[in-house]
Formats: sequence, C-alpha cells, structure tokens
Amino acid sequence: MAGRSTRSINGSDGSRTAPARAAALADLLHYECSTLLELFRKKENFTEDVADRRMVSVPPPSSQLDTRDKLWRIHSALLQCQKLLEKAVAKEEEELGGGKKGEYENKRKLVKERLPLLILSTGELLKAAEGTTSLTPSVEGLELNVPTNLFDLKLWVYRVYKEVNYWSKTATNTLKDLPSVIVKERARTTRARNRRSTRR
Amino acid sequence: MAHLSLTPTLKLISSGFVWLLWIVLWFSTSHTHADTGLTVPQQVTLSPNWGTQELSISWLGGGATTFDLIILRTEFNETVFYETVSPTVNKVSGLHQWTWTSVNPLECTSLSVKIRSRAGQYTSEWSQTETLQGHDHPNSEQRVKAFPQDKVLPVGANITFCCIMDERMFFDKIVYDGNATIVTRLSRRTYSTTVSNLVASRPSGSNMLCLPEDKGKLYGAVVFVGYPPLPTDFKCETYDLRSAVCQWGKGRDTHLYGIQRGTRYFVNNRDCTEVNQDVGQKELNCTLDTWEGNWTLVAKNLLGQYSLTDTAELSHRVCPVAPVQLRVVADAWNASLSWHWKYDSYSSLALDCQVEVTATEDEKLIKRVFSGVGLRSVFLSDLYPDERYSVKVRCGVQQNFWKWGKWSELFSFKTKTYVPDTPDAWIWLNTDNTGTVVWKPLTRRQSHGKLTQYEVFLWSPEENRALAPTVTLPPNTWSMPVNLTEIAFFSNNSSIVANVTARNDAGSSSPARVHLTSVEPLAASRIVYTDQGFPLFWENNANATCGYVVEWLDAFCSQGCPVEWIKLPAGTTNVSLESDTFQPGVRYNLSLYSCSSDSRELLKRWQGYAQELVPSVALTLSASQQNADILLTWNEIPLVNRRGFLLGYNIYNSTGYQFDLLANLPDPETMSYTAKDFTKGTYKFTVKAYTAAGENTGTTATVTIEPYADWLILEILTSLGLVTLLLAIVTFTCYKKRKWVKKAFYPDIPEPKLPSDWPRTQGPLDVKPSPHSMVCVVETPEYDCIKEMLVAIPEEDEDDEGQGIGDESVDTDEPMSLRYYNQMVDERPIRPRFPDSSASSLSSMGSAHTDVTYTGIQTSGSSLVLQLDPQGSTECYQPQLDQSVSYGGGGYRPQMQPRAPSDDMGLPSPESFLEPQAACSGGYKPQGSWHLDSPVDAAEMGSLAPSLGSPTSVASTQFLLPDGEENRGEKRQHSSSAASWLTNLLSSTKP
Repeated sequence: MAGRSTRSINGSDGSRTAPARAAALADLLHYECSTLLELFRKKENFTEDVADRRMVSVPPPSSQLDTRDKLWRIHSALLQCQKLLEKAVAKEEEELGGGKKGEYENKRKLVKERLPLLILSTGELLKAAEGTTSLTPSVEGLELNVPTNLFDLKLWVYRVYKEVNYWSKTATNTLKDLPSVIVKERARTTRARNRRSTRR
Repeated sequence: MAHLSLTPTLKLISSGFVWLLWIVLWFSTSHTHADTGLTVPQQVTLSPNWGTQELSISWLGGGATTFDLIILRTEFNETVFYETVSPTVNKVSGLHQWTWTSVNPLECTSLSVKIRSRAGQYTSEWSQTETLQGHDHPNSEQRVKAFPQDKVLPVGANITFCCIMDERMFFDKIVYDGNATIVTRLSRRTYSTTVSNLVASRPSGSNMLCLPEDKGKLYGAVVFVGYPPLPTDFKCETYDLRSAVCQWGKGRDTHLYGIQRGTRYFVNNRDCTEVNQDVGQKELNCTLDTWEGNWTLVAKNLLGQYSLTDTAELSHRVCPVAPVQLRVVADAWNASLSWHWKYDSYSSLALDCQVEVTATEDEKLIKRVFSGVGLRSVFLSDLYPDERYSVKVRCGVQQNFWKWGKWSELFSFKTKTYVPDTPDAWIWLNTDNTGTVVWKPLTRRQSHGKLTQYEVFLWSPEENRALAPTVTLPPNTWSMPVNLTEIAFFSNNSSIVANVTARNDAGSSSPARVHLTSVEPLAASRIVYTDQGFPLFWENNANATCGYVVEWLDAFCSQGCPVEWIKLPAGTTNVSLESDTFQPGVRYNLSLYSCSSDSRELLKRWQGYAQELVPSVALTLSASQQNADILLTWNEIPLVNRRGFLLGYNIYNSTGYQFDLLANLPDPETMSYTAKDFTKGTYKFTVKAYTAAGENTGTTATVTIEPYADWLILEILTSLGLVTLLLAIVTFTCYKKRKWVKKAFYPDIPEPKLPSDWPRTQGPLDVKPSPHSMVCVVETPEYDCIKEMLVAIPEEDEDDEGQGIGDESVDTDEPMSLRYYNQMVDERPIRPRFPDSSASSLSSMGSAHTDVTYTGIQTSGSSLVLQLDPQGSTECYQPQLDQSVSYGGGGYRPQMQPRAPSDDMGLPSPESFLEPQAACSGGYKPQGSWHLDSPVDAAEMGSLAPSLGSPTSVASTQFLLPDGEENRGEKRQHSSSAASWLTNLLSSTKP
C-alpha cells in the first residue's frame, strides 16, 4: 500500500491519450477507495467482511458489448456510485458525525471529490465514442433507501464504499482496453456521418 | 350457607349422600377462600416498553395486597423472575400494576407471566399465563435481528445485547468493539451477551456484531456511551450597553455527537444550540437582545442535563468593544492618538484605556493608561525622533470594572527627525605633541535622524576666534588628528578648544568642547580589578567645574591607540570602571582628568589588569658550573608578554618526572640564582615566572657537573693508600697467625708406616684405615700389571659400586677394615723400614711400586699437588724424586711426605681395587665425575672436616684416575702451581 501512495495521474508520458488518463484516474480512485474501506473497517472494528451485493444497476458485462456500450456501462455505474456516495456521506455525517475530523474523513472527502472527475472523463470518452452527446444514464431505481437503525446505516455506507471501489476497479480495467479501439471507432463513426451527409 | 334436609328412604339416602359429599366439598372449598378472601388475579395485561426494557404488568382482583409473580422465558421455560411483590392499586379501577425491568431487551425472546394472590401463607391459584411474544417467535420476521438498537448509555453502565438468528443460520459468536464476548443462549434462536462497565465510545458509537457461521454476513447494533453535559463558567456581559451576551465553557467531552445525541443548550429557554455546533469550539455563547439580569443555562443530552445561573446588573458587566479607526499625528518627541467607538452610547461612558506603544527597532514596550468619559484620543509623549512605533488600545469602564475589552488592531507610525545629540568627544595625545580628537559614534537614538556629517573646528576661547577652517567629516568618521605644536603657533600659545558637532537633516547638534592641552605624566599606581570593575577613588577637585573624565587604554600601545573614556559629573569622587572592551591579560592605563572651562588637568593615574594571566612566553635561561655550584641566569620577560604583574620566580630541580622546588624568588627583578653543592652528574633546572594567575610553563636548562683535576688526583692517591694499608694488614695478620693458617689450610701430611712383621707369606692383611683418610694403594702403570701388588679389598660388600663405597668411606666414623693380599711375586727381600712412614711404605713394597691416594679430604678437587720425597726409595722413579710433579700424559705420582709425623696410615681406597684397568692404564687423575655427581656426596664430603690435614688436602678429594683426561689435568696445572707456591711458603715458615 505504501508503495502505491505515490500514485499520480500525471505520468511521465505527456502525450497520454484520454482513455489512458481516465484509466489512471480510475486506478487512483480505486486505490483511494480501497484505503477508505480499510479506514472504515478499522474505525468500526469490522472484524468480518461483508459479502458483496451490487447496489448499482447496469447491464451485465458481455463480450458482445462494443466500446461505446462498455463506456456507457461504466459511466452509468459511476454516476450511480456518485449518487450513493453523496447520500452515504451526508447521512453518515448527520447520524454518526461529530467529533474531530481525522484521516478517515479526509479520505472520504477525497474520494467524494475525485469520483466526479472520473465521471467527467468517462463522459468525455463516451461522447467521443458516439460522436454526439450521449444519453445521460438514468439513476432511477437506485437503492437510496437509507436504513433507519444506525448499524444498518453503517453497513449500508460500507457497501456504498465497496461499490465505488468495485466500479473504479472495473473502470480501470475497461479503460485500459480502450485506447486503440476508441480512435478507430471514432474514425469509423466520422466516416459514417460523412457518408450520411453526402447522401443528403 | 348450606341447608340440609334428611329423608328416610334409601334412594333418598343415596342421592342425599352424593349431594352431601358435594356440599361438603363445596363448603370446604368455599370456607377456605371465604376465610382468606384470596381470589385468582384476573385480566392480566402485559405492556412492554421496548426502549427502557420495562414490562408493566397489570391485573384485577386477587383480594390481596401481595402477589406472587413469576416470569419465565417461554421457549425454555426458564424462570427469570419469581418474587412476591406489592403492586400499586388504582383505587378507582381497582387495577393492580407492577413494573419489571428486564436485563435483556424484551424483544430477545418470549416471556410468560403468571400471578397469584398471597396473604401470608395462603395463596390463590395462579392466573392464566400471559405471554409477551419475542422477536424469536416463528411468526416473527425471518431475519437476523440484534437488540437493543442505538442505545445511549452513561460511561460505566452495563448492557445486555441479544442476537436472534435466522432459522437457517448457525450462531458463531458475538463481538463487542472488536472483542469476542461470553454468550448465553436464551432460546432456540436467541443468544445474549452482557458487557459491563462500558467505556466512552467514539463519535460513531461502539458496535456489537452478531456473527453467524456463514461468513460474509454481518449483523449487529450500535451503542453510544458517554456522559451527561457539564458546562462551566457561565457569565453574561454586554458590549453595546443594551443586549446580553452569555458565555460558558463546554466542560468535559460528552462523547455524544450529532443532532440526535449531541448536547443542546438553552439560555432562559432560548435554544442556543445552533450557534454552538462547532466541535472544536471550547467557549460557547448565546446573545439575548435585552438585558434580563438573570440567566439560566440548561445543557441537556440523552443522558441528563445540567443547569447554571448568572445574575448581574448591566453596569457591572460592561465589556467595551475594541476601538476602531485608529489615527496618529506624530511629532519628533510625541504623538497624538485617536480612535472611534462602534457604539454611540460609549460617549457617556467613563473609560480607562490601555495604550501599548512598541518601538519597532528594539521592541521596547511602553504601556500607558489614560482615563476619560467616552475617551477617544490620547497624547503619547517621550517618544524618540525618527523612530517607528506600533500602537494598540483597549478599554474598560472606570466604574464597576468588569474586564478589559478586546485590543484594537495594531497601528504603525513614525516620529519626525530632530537635531542630533552633542557628541561625546575627547583627545588622545601622543608623546610627540601630536594627537587625535576622537568622539563616540552617535547611536540611532542619539542621531535623531540620519547623520549627514561631523564638523570639527578649533577655537581660541581667549581670543574668541576660530583658529582654522571648520573641518567637515563624513558620518562614519569619529576622529581627527591634531598637531599641538602647529596649533600653538597659530594660537599664540593661548588655550585651544576643539568643537565637535554632528549634523542631520534637522540641523547641527550643540558642540562638544575638548581642550587641546598637553598634560604632565604622573606615576601610576597599581589597581586591582574587582567584580564591579576597577574601583577608582580620588579627592574632589575644586577646579573640576565641569566634572571629570576617566580615560583608559592599553598600557603598551604607543601610536593610534583606541582610547576610551567616560565623563563623570562634578563632585564625583569614585567610580567602578567596567567596560565590555576590557581584555584579560592586557594592562590598562587609567587616567583621571579634571575638566574646567579653560583646561583639563591630569589628576591621577592607575595601572591594572581586568584579569591577570600567566606570562605568555618563557624565560631565556642559561646555566653554568662554578666548581660545585651552578649559576642560573635569565632574561627579563617583555612587559607585553607578562600579562600580569610579575611577582617573582620559582626555581625547580627536575628529576625525572618530578619537580622539586629549589627556591622561590619573590623579587621579580632578580635575574640569577646560584644552586650550591652539586656533585658530579647531570642536573635539570626549570625557572618559572609567576603572576597572580600562576606560573608560566618555565624554561629548563641542563647542566652536567664535570669532576675537576684536584679531585681526580686525590681520589687516586686515596685508593692506593687504602690498598697498601689493606695488604699490610693482611700480611701482618697472616704472619702473626701463620700457625693457624698452616694448620687450617696446609696441615702436615701423615707418613705411612709399615709394621715390622710384614708377612712374607701370601695372605690377606687386614688394615683398619684412618678415620680421616683413605689410602688407595695401586700399582703404577709403569709396572707390569701382572706383578704382585697390594690390593685393598673392602671387608664387606665387595660388589658395591663406587658410590656406595664412597659413601661408606666418607660417612663411617670407624675406619673400615681393609684386607690386603700380598701377591708379590718378586722374591726380593724386604728392605729395612725407614723411620719415615712414607719411606717405609715405599720400602714395604719392595720392587713393587705402590701409589698411595688419600681420599675423603674436603678440599678443592681442581688441583692436585704431589710432592715426592727426595729421599724416597722408589726404584722406578728415582730420577724424579725431587720434582713436584703435575702429571699430564704420564699420570700422577703419589704424594710423599717423608717427614710427616702423622700416625695415620694411608691405605688404598677400595675404588682403586675396583678399577684395576684404570690403575693399569699408566697413570692417575682426579675422578671429578665421581664426587660431583651427587650433591649428597659432596655435602657429606664437605662435612668431613677432620680430614683436613690429610696429605692431599690441598690437592684433591678425588680418586686418581688413569690419564684419559689429559686436558683437565693440564688445566689444573696452574692452580697446582699456585698451591705448590703456597705449600712452599708455609713449609718455609715451619719452625
């Protein structure tokens, strides 16, 4: 972990492509979210882990998905994660907050601020892949029913963190596979659009 | 009451019996309850309070004041509570009520309650069982549940948790705050644990985790543990003379946070919670629009509340706000400071205001207090020109002072420049009438602005005219050379004054006057530095109208000396002179001048050291010998190197690592020392000069004392004289004691004697040898070994080897009897016996030549002297009889003492018999190896003192051996010669 603390999205390669930058950002977010999870476990003395249960609703992964669909899937999941995270942070602060701010609170703030940057990056990539402004993924139906008792609230917050962690990792892997493809597809899309224009 | 009727028919009787029995039973039962009045409680109702874990039980009837109450865990039928209780009774409704508090949360498991009336020993029947259904009931929701949830408890309390497992789950453990706990099973699905003496929890609470064996699933509850609020220091005050601002301290940490559990504050029932949400805020406050005079603070949380009150009049609690809009109008030495108040109501308020002025240069703080009604300006005096200051103000009310208000913001300003102070000038004159007018640099505080230049002009007060044009010097110059000879030429020998002024943008300073008059030097007295400096005393001088000047400088400085001085007012008669420039080991000249309007006069001089040190250099030492004395001379240590007043010298004689003080010379003028009475040898002398600080390292000179000629001659003559005297004494003593010497060292050798009836026939001859000598009779090698000869045979132990024999021969006091065999073949007649024993011994052997060796004599074995009797009749050696022989290759000859009067008979030793081959080899020699091998033998032989006087006493105690060791015999020849000489000497002295 210590070795990863020096992670930065500013690589030595100044000519990094947008997907690579987004992948680096996702990787950094994943690292910080992992740290946040660890801090939360330590803070709450959670000796046992909680089984993953997806809170975000997106189409299942498939090899049939093209780049645009993959991007859309990631983008949609991250948007839902953002909603969940904002809710979790607000609710946690309201019900369980107080006292002096420490490392956990700082890390939580960092993750909360960094997630929108990744969403922005994936949104740009999605826009580039489709050639037009993509449809904004819906967050309706998202599980935002916050538990009433505080222990369940803690579990819910923990699951939200795990969800962000999972999707940031998924985003990293997905984005790392994109660069060569996205340029190609963008070119194809542009050609198709030109053809349509010519016919008109 | 029952009523009986008897009918005389059997049917009637039988039916009547049944009735009777029934009536009796009924009566007995009715009679029992009728007597106690107890009835079974009815309409038992259970009302749980889930939060407080209290179960309120109510019922009707019972006819008693006490009831037996039993509570069981329904599923395991375990008794939780069974006691006789006294419930409260509602007099109107007749409802009995009693509340039971459960240790476990009521949700944990189902509870069954039964009640019966009790009057002493009598009890009613149990009531119908009422059950409070727990969350572990099969009809309850099928999910894991933990109780209690979100409980808030005080520190030190106990709590019991329970976990209700799912039907399909297996329980593993309960963990509280990371630690596994001891678990009790309450029902088939419910497990509980109790945590005692709870400690304060973190802001998000402490977690109890229910862990099923199915990992990955987590259930539990949160508990918050903390304290009730305890605020402190509740006070209300006013800033605007109208509203009240109440303040208090948060006190101890409650460990409870957030909207739900955090502390809420109320002042006079006004909620002040919102303005005090900051967690890090220690001081809390609440503003009330009007001054009410009495205030109550209530702080409350889920664990309790705490109240504080305060009462005060408005005029007693005025805390002025900080002044604003500060403004300063500054002059050179003072400034005017003004400010504004936020509230107009302050204009009528009598105020005390603190003003703090800080000089930027040295951060010196000036605190001043000003008073006034509605005070809003003050005058600041005693400032320095051309100085930057910062100022701040705060105020409090004069009457019923409560506290100082807050400080205003800092305001900076700078004062104006002003003409410089008069320089402090002095003159230092060299011996050649040249000198330097010097003055001390003006500090920033003395300059009153940036200096532009110094001006010096020479003036004649008598003629009231300037003697030369004014000299202008840059501000970083603080001296000017003068030549009194030249100046005197222009001044017509009238007195001259040098005027020194400093100038800045504001103008010139008043001049500093220095009289340029030479002074006659005075003798200096020594002065000792003390902790307070040089203590200088003098008598008041009436001419010193403008005071005194004490000047000091390095005593050994001659040109361009850094002179320092202080000016003292008139009337001063002493001063303790202290300066940071005083250096240790430096001699200072201190001079006291009087100052008058027209001249200066040297009154007194001192010399002293601020700190004396040991001399910095060693002496130049030389040493020379003067007969038996040593003269040490050395040179004087230069003054500058003395570093203290020289007190004398110490002379040391160094011997190895030790210094012995020879002399202490307390006179520092002494430059030589004579060390007396030294004999021949090498000496080191060290001379050390010393001051009050101690000795220097010293100088060492080495001197070697040579013996002179007279001594040498005298020593030789003395030695010769002593030797001569010693020889004379020895000679004389020997002469006087010659008999004793002869007897002791060279006794006469006894002569062997032959009895007259020497047997002619062959047979053994038994001879008893002398106790002091053993005689070995052997045959000389020149003769044929087969000829008959006398062979000595020990009577006993003939087979003994030499050592045993030797021992015997030495140690035995009784002479050993020897047996001789007459084996002579030669039939020649025996010669007549000589009267001399030795001669007779020779003659007794006829033609046979017999050597006689004496043994057992304790003398040196290194030499052997054999002296043949010149009158001996030995046939074989007749030509050699007159010789004293030392045999080399030819062997030894027996010693013959023809005139020895001894009666002892020398007999051959047994050894000679045991070594016939040696005897036949043609000669004899001492058996050195024989008697030296054994130290015992040597000692024993040494103890044979009576053997002294034996004929061989000066020769050997050894046996004569054949000459196999010629070299040894040759070596002994010299000592034999010396022994011979001594023998002759003694013989010649025989009377």
